[in-house]
Amino acid sequence: MVLVYKSQFYALYQNDAERCYYLDFGHKTVKFSFCQLLALRHKINSISITSHFDASMNKHGFEVLTLCNKSHLFVFNTLEILDLNQLIQQSLLAVGISIPHNAVACVY
Amino acid sequence: MKDIARQRMSISVETMDLLNNQIKMEAHASASYLAMASWCDQNAFTQSAAFFYNQSVEERSHMMKIFQFVNDCGGSAMSPAVGETNHDFSSLEEVFETALEQEIQVTKSIHNIVNECKKNNDYNVENFLQWFIVEQLEEEKTMRDILDMFDLIGRDGIALKMIDERVTISEGEGETE
Repeated sequence: MVLVYKSQFYALYQNDAERCYYLDFGHKTVKFSFCQLLALRHKINSISITSHFDASMNKHGFEVLTLCNKSHLFVFNTLEILDLNQLIQQSLLAVGISIPHNAVACVY
Repeated sequence: MKDIARQRMSISVETMDLLNNQIKMEAHASASYLAMASWCDQNAFTQSAAFFYNQSVEERSHMMKIFQFVNDCGGSAMSPAVGETNHDFSSLEEVFETALEQEIQVTKSIHNIVNECKKNNDYNVENFLQWFIVEQLEEEKTMRDILDMFDLIGRDGIALKMIDERVTISEGEGETE
């Protein structure tokens, strides 16, 4: 397996033979297809980090995520979510499917 | 190291995000036209109601076109959640003005994606969106033509009835598929 990117808490590996990715969460390693990785990215992007700093919106600052079509359930704190976000962003850059510098404007 | 990501997806994730936003926009436009159709129906503008029902279906077909394209490219198309839709209009003219404004926003958004595709050499998406550029020109023209009728015919009772009857003709012009 080839290391794609390592963040403070997590690491993403690519497995050429299985044509998939492995995300090392520290205490557990989970196998991801490319589509499942995109789904994880969507879930993380949908999280409102500002709500973590507003007790009325997210009292304990935790996020519960189900991964890989509900095969796994994880609880993340604010720092872990930020770290996971960075891992996904940098990994997609590393595998060449994301545009460098994120210079894409959105009109909506 | 194999290029698994590129094998799986032929567009960038940023372009995918822009297209998913466009899907959301088209879904909102479809819902908005449905609200306009309802208002026209309730105010006895039957031809205009039929026109907006047709527009609603058309916007949904645009949404589906982009939705399927994203998935065909190996991306992840997201089924959009449609938020609040305005149902309050003070006149038939305001309905068509709102419709034109909505079409202009859609055009701007399409142009923005094409612009980003040009910058990032995303030829597939740029080529795919050419159809939408032509379509948006037609959509804006249809709305403008109808709005012109208010200046030509008037805004009183009988004039509104005449405009409503003529909207059917514009409906035919707006057909694309």
